[in-house]
Amino acid sequence: MKPTRLDGWQALRCQPWLLALVVWLPPLLTLMFIALFASGTPKSLPVGVVDLDHSTESRAYLRHLDASPALALDHPYPSAYEGSAALQRGDILALVIVPPEFGRELRLSISPESVAFYNSQYLLAGKFIASALTQANFSFSAKAGVALRLGRGYSLPDAIAAAAPVRPQITALYNAGMSYALFLVTSIMPALWQILIVVATVLTLSWRLEQASLPAGFAARSRALWQLMAPLSLILWLQGLIMLGMFSVFLGWRPEGNILWLVAGMALMVMAVQSMATLILSLVANKVRALSLCAAYLAPAFAFMGMTFPRGDMNMLARWWGNLMPSTHYMELQVAVADHGASLQTLALPLAALLVFLVPLALAIPALPQQMVIDPAEEVPS
Amino acid sequence: MKRAPTPPQSLWQAFQAELANIFTDRAVLLVIVGGLLFYAVLYPLPYQKNVPGEQAIAVIDHDRTHLARKLLRMADATPQIRVAARPDSMLEAETLLANNAVHGLLVIPSNFERDVYRGRPTSLSFAGDASYFLIYGNVVEGLLTAATTLSVETQIVASLMKGESAAQIPGQVMPVRLINKPAFNPTSGYINYIVPAVFVLILHQTLLIAAGSVTIKDRARRLLGRPAAPLHLALPLRVMTFVLIYLLFAMLYFGFFFQLYGIPHQASPWTLLLFSLLFFTTTSLFALWLGALLPRPELVTVIVLVSSLPIVFTAGFAWPAENLPAWLDYLTLLIPAKPGIQGFLALNQLGTPLTSLGREVAILVGLCLLYGGGLIYLMRNQARRRARNAAYDHPAPSSAWGTAVDE
Repeated sequence: MKPTRLDGWQALRCQPWLLALVVWLPPLLTLMFIALFASGTPKSLPVGVVDLDHSTESRAYLRHLDASPALALDHPYPSAYEGSAALQRGDILALVIVPPEFGRELRLSISPESVAFYNSQYLLAGKFIASALTQANFSFSAKAGVALRLGRGYSLPDAIAAAAPVRPQITALYNAGMSYALFLVTSIMPALWQILIVVATVLTLSWRLEQASLPAGFAARSRALWQLMAPLSLILWLQGLIMLGMFSVFLGWRPEGNILWLVAGMALMVMAVQSMATLILSLVANKVRALSLCAAYLAPAFAFMGMTFPRGDMNMLARWWGNLMPSTHYMELQVAVADHGASLQTLALPLAALLVFLVPLALAIPALPQQMVIDPAEEVPS
Repeated sequence: MKRAPTPPQSLWQAFQAELANIFTDRAVLLVIVGGLLFYAVLYPLPYQKNVPGEQAIAVIDHDRTHLARKLLRMADATPQIRVAARPDSMLEAETLLANNAVHGLLVIPSNFERDVYRGRPTSLSFAGDASYFLIYGNVVEGLLTAATTLSVETQIVASLMKGESAAQIPGQVMPVRLINKPAFNPTSGYINYIVPAVFVLILHQTLLIAAGSVTIKDRARRLLGRPAAPLHLALPLRVMTFVLIYLLFAMLYFGFFFQLYGIPHQASPWTLLLFSLLFFTTTSLFALWLGALLPRPELVTVIVLVSSLPIVFTAGFAWPAENLPAWLDYLTLLIPAKPGIQGFLALNQLGTPLTSLGREVAILVGLCLLYGGGLIYLMRNQARRRARNAAYDHPAPSSAWGTAVDE
C-alpha cells in the first residue's frame, strides 16, 4: 500500500516504531525514571562494621550511626580483613572500624578515632555515605561532649554552648529537600527527550524520502517538509509539556519564574534538534549512518550539560562541544526559569542560542537528497 | 533469476563471507572503528579536570569584626570555595545567585564575635545552589570546614582560658573523631568514576549496533536468495568474529586509554581477558538475537540510543543499586551491560578476584543461554516460514521486494 498523503500524520500511521517513539515511550520513560529515583535520596545503604572494642560506648556509637536514615549498619564482620573483602566485592559500600579501647578513651576524654573506608568508585553513594557518617559522628560527639562537661560540673546551658560554639545552618537553595529525584529526573529527561526528537526526525524524513521524491525549489521543499514535520514537532513539544506536568505532579517541581518562557524554550528546542537532524541527514543521505552520527553527536549530551559536573570546570573543547548541543542551552534555560527565577536578561542568552540552531535548516533543506531508495538487501520485508 | 554457483559451504569460506559482511559495510565500520575511537576521546572530555575546582561564593558580613574577617579568610583558603563577591544586601546576593555569578552564600550575623567570645551559641547561615549537586556539595563542604576550624580554635582558646587540663582538650573539642578514607578511587576523581563504567557501555552499545545490523542485512540477503553460508556455520562464526574484534578494542580501551587517562586498574590481563570473553560472547548473542527479531538495521541504533541513559542509571554505579525498585533491578539484569559494568568495575577498579564474581558470571552465562536459545528459535522459525512460502508460491518475486511501508 502506497500512502496517498505524505504528511506527518501519515508517517505516524505507517510506522508503528515511530508512533511508539513519539507517543507512548516518552511518558513511560519519565515514569520509569521517577520510579528509579523514587527514594528521593539514597537510603539504607549497606555499611559494614568491625567493632574491636565491644564496650557499651562502642555499641551506643554504632547504634547512633545506624539511626541515620541513609545508613544501614547491619553488616558486622569479625575483623578488618573480612570487612575489606566485603567492601571489595561490593557487598557493602563502606566499612566502619571502631578501635579497641574506644570506650575507655571516650570516658577519659582523649578523643578516640574511628575510621570509615568508603567506596569512592561509586562516587555519589560513597560521598553520600561519607557525609552521612560525618554528620552522625558530629551529633554523637556533641551529645558526648555535653555529657563529659556535665560530668565535670558545667551547668547544662554552658555545657551545650561550649560543646558547639558556632552552629552552621545550611540551606539548600532551589531544592530544599536535596532530593536527587528532583535533581536527576528533571535533567535526565530533557536529555532523553532530545534523543527522541532527533531519532523521530531522522526516521520521519527518511520515510518521506523513501516514499516519493521531494519537490525541487526551496519554497516547495519547505512546504512539503513543513507538512511532514509540523505534526511531529507539535507532538514532541506536547511531550515536553507533559514531562513538565509529570515533574510537578510526582516530584513536587515548582517553577520559580514564569513558566511561559520555558514553554517557548521547549518549542525552540524541538525545532533546534529537528534542524540538526535534517542537517545530518542531508550530509550523509543514509538513514543508518545518519542515526549513527546522531548517536555520536547527542548520546553523550547529559554529560556535557553540566548538571552533574559543572561546566565551569570543563576544558574549552568540552564546553565548545557542549555548546553545539541544544540540550545544553535548554538546561541553562530550565535552571534559570524554574530554579533561579532569573531575569529576562539571563533567559535571553539560552533562548537566542536555541534560535541559532535554526540557521543550518536553511542550508539543510536544499541539500537534502531528492529521494532515498530502500536497498532490498538491507531490510527484511515483513 | 541470477544465482551464484556455489554458496560458501566450508568453514573457511563461511568465515571469509562473515568477514566480508563486516568489513565491506561502511555503516558498520563507521560504528566499530569511527564510533569506538571517537567515543573514547569524547566521553572523558568533560571530566579532564577530574575534581571540580573552587566555586564562587558571596559573603554578607553583618559583623565586620576581626573574627568575621578571620572566618572569611579561612573559607577562602579551602580548596572548595573562593569568596568572589561581598554584596551589601540579601537582594543583591540573590541576583548574583540567579545569574550564576556565585553558587553559594555565607551570612555572618551581627554580634558574631561578641557571642562567640562570651560562649553564647551563634549560628552561621550557609546557602548553596542545589540546582547543581556537585557544586552544592563542594560549597557546603568548604563552608563547613571553615566553620568547624574556627569553632575548634575558639573552643581550644576558651578551654585554655578556663584553665582546663590540656590533655583533655582533644576530647572536649571532638569527643569522637571519624576519619573518612576513600577506598579505590583515592582522589575521588570524576574521570575514574565515570569512564570505567561508560567504556563498558560504549563497547556494549556499539557491538549491539554492529552485530545487530550485520545480522539483519544477512537475513535480508538470504530472503533474496543470495548465496550465504549455512546458518549453523554463519552464526557461531559471526559471534566469534565480533568477540575477536571487540577483544582488540577492549585491550585498547582498558589498556591504552586507561593508561592515557591515568585511571587506576587492578585486574591481571588474564582475568580481564576471561571476563571480556564471557561479556562479549553474551553481548554478541544478544545483538544477534536483536538482529533476528528486528526488520530494519536502523532500529537497533534507535533501541541503543533510547536505552543508553536508562542503562547508565540502573547499572548501579551512578545511583546505588540497593535503592532501585526491585522490579527494575531484575528487569535490567536482562541486558548484558549491567552485569558487565558491575563485573568490570569489581575486577578492575575494586580489585575483586574473579572467584568472588560468581553472581555476575552466572547472570552472563544465563543470558548467553537465553539469547542463544532465542536466536536459534527465531532463525528456525524464519527458515521454516521461508520454506513454506517457497512451497506455496514459487518463485515469489514480490514478497522479497516489499517496502518498509508494508509493515
